[in-house]
Amino acid sequence: MCALNAFVVADPNKCIGCKVCEVACAVVHSDVPVKTVGQMTTPIIPRLYLVKTAEVTMPVQCRHCEDAPCANACPVGAITQRDGIIYVDQEACVGCKTCMLACPFGAMEMVPYYRNGERVKQLRLTEETGEGPVLQDAFVASKCDRCIGVEGGPACVANCPKEALRVVRPDELRRTRNLEAALAVLESVKNVIG
Amino acid sequence: MIYIDQELCTGCRSCADVCPVDAIVGEFGQPQSVDQELCVMCGQCVQVCSSYASILDEGIAPREQKLAERAMLPSVKEPLFAAYNQGKALKVKEALADPDKYVMVQVAPAVRVAIAEEFGMPLGSLAPGQMAAALRRLGFDRIYSTDFTADLTIMEEGHELIERVTKGGTLPMFTSCCPAWVKYLEQTYPELLPHLSSCKSPQQMAGALFKTYGAKVDKVDPAKVYSVSVMPCTCKDFEANRPEMKASGHQDVDVVITTRELAHLIKDAGIDFASLTEEEYDRPLGLYTGAGTIFGATGGVMEAALRTAYEVITKKPIPELDLEYVRGGEGVRYATVQVGDLELKVCVVSGLKHVAPVLEQVKAGTADFHFMEVMTCPVGCVSGGGQPKALLPKDRICARTARTASTYKHDGELRHRKSHENPDIKKIYKEFLGKPLGEQSHHLLHTTYTPRRRDA
Ligand code: SF4
Ligand code: SF4
Ligand code: SF4
Ligand code: SF4
Repeated sequence: MCALNAFVVADPNKCIGCKVCEVACAVVHSDVPVKTVGQMTTPIIPRLYLVKTAEVTMPVQCRHCEDAPCANACPVGAITQRDGIIYVDQEACVGCKTCMLACPFGAMEMVPYYRNGERVKQLRLTEETGEGPVLQDAFVASKCDRCIGVEGGPACVANCPKEALRVVRPDELRRTRNLEAALAVLESVKNVIG
Repeated sequence: MIYIDQELCTGCRSCADVCPVDAIVGEFGQPQSVDQELCVMCGQCVQVCSSYASILDEGIAPREQKLAERAMLPSVKEPLFAAYNQGKALKVKEALADPDKYVMVQVAPAVRVAIAEEFGMPLGSLAPGQMAAALRRLGFDRIYSTDFTADLTIMEEGHELIERVTKGGTLPMFTSCCPAWVKYLEQTYPELLPHLSSCKSPQQMAGALFKTYGAKVDKVDPAKVYSVSVMPCTCKDFEANRPEMKASGHQDVDVVITTRELAHLIKDAGIDFASLTEEEYDRPLGLYTGAGTIFGATGGVMEAALRTAYEVITKKPIPELDLEYVRGGEGVRYATVQVGDLELKVCVVSGLKHVAPVLEQVKAGTADFHFMEVMTCPVGCVSGGGQPKALLPKDRICARTARTASTYKHDGELRHRKSHENPDIKKIYKEFLGKPLGEQSHHLLHTTYTPRRRDA
């Protein structure tokens, strides 16, 4: 097998900027199951980001690069490839932000780390306050993991009301494009020969 | 009142897709706003909006400021979205802390099939008893239920229908319990206002009774009674503040909060909802029948009315209690029911955007039914704007189905299933109201409407 890594991409002509994809992403990645807004005690932390300017509206996310710059840059080896997914091991991440600098798409973000709805603290790092040293809040690298292990595949794709998102499988992409091109040639040849 | 946070709105106009009255104004891609005059405050935009305040966005006002703008309790942790309903929970908290106030609360039928969702229980969990327990822990002096006055509404409205049919009143008669629908009719079809039942909504009937009969039963000074209402609805606060809603000689309903806000108050007080054991509602204004509880679902007012009207007219028990033909989803349904010699024709409209063609028929004189139920929200109050907001579009649909199923389950399991068989309804007529459509009823339980057409 030499399949290329699949990735999710948005169609800026379909996207209306509703952020349902961001919410869906945060919901499936929450470690405590949540269905309603009121159940949430943590902020919505997505792994794709809506870009909205006068020219373009669409979410941007990880491309799962073949020679992933983030993984190459990580000094502690927290980023690896698993089943065609470039994956961040948040437990191993030290929050150095090198991956953020390395990613050409801005797909990597440093986010507050939550477990069971509670803010995770650093193991040792403290900050001096008026009441003595206090353990610092943990931040970890976070990005699209193509909803690894989520039934029905990427939540953003499944929930977008405008079907503006799709999973691109590069090998299939080439094959379909080739086929389309071949059919187009056939059509024009027919027209010429009559 | 419904607002859109200009800092958070992306201008996707998903809300405009669900707004039944085209009240969302703005250019696509630009922050939207609500035309308050047109808005019927159904809160469907609040339910659908998915543009939230992100912690990664440093350019927006701090969360504390947004909570204050929305009049939300500072302890609320949930994420905030662009479209929102201005809350009243702070007022309720204040009233509960005031030793001089005797605080009575009513909770609407649809709240009991949704509130538990906010505490991690499955969508549509039925939790009337736990909710009563939570309200008692919060310190309310009397825990009453709007389902009781839903039963009372059936008594009044059922008799009103019979009177209009037999004595030749304005027909078809329209239900009047949904304030968003009433406001819509007032502003869009004022010429059809005589069709509206003169009955107040169950909320306002309860309000009028809390500071009269309720105060008398408890031997408290009506001026000390503070009347709180918990609704699935973002329009009920508007209804409570209509100037005519002072039949008790006081403001009948002092403050209205939504299902979501009740959950906020319960969390704020540190009450562990899921571990509460079930408790009863107080009597007399908290005892209810299955007919009262199905008011929360589309077709429910119709079904409850038919259960009673059939027996009042024919003096015989209705052969089948589950009137499946008036139940259903969003849209318009018609049915014909044989009630003795009368062939009663009814119409049920679920979702306000479906009503205009039917009203055009009524105007043209071609509508051949006697009675029409209208609920503004997609499948009735279970899908109201103040209900727990699903995070994902598919769960919004699952929640509607599950809450409706729980509503009918509750109906099926209650001891009494017909409004006229509610022992405390019989008692209140005997002790206080006299008879349906009587003088006391007329004064406390019926109302009038105001044309509010916008001049061009
Ligand atoms: S859910 Fe779809 S339409 Fe909405 S912002 Fe995401 S990609 Fe765009
Ligand atoms: S209020 Fe919400 S749903 Fe409406 S346009 Fe703004 S972001 Fe979209
Ligand atoms: S509350 Fe209802 S009527 Fe008002 S703007 Fe929102 S959807 Fe429209
Ligand atoms: S259907 Fe119910 S929740 Fe919706 S606006 Fe009417 S009364 Fe309120």
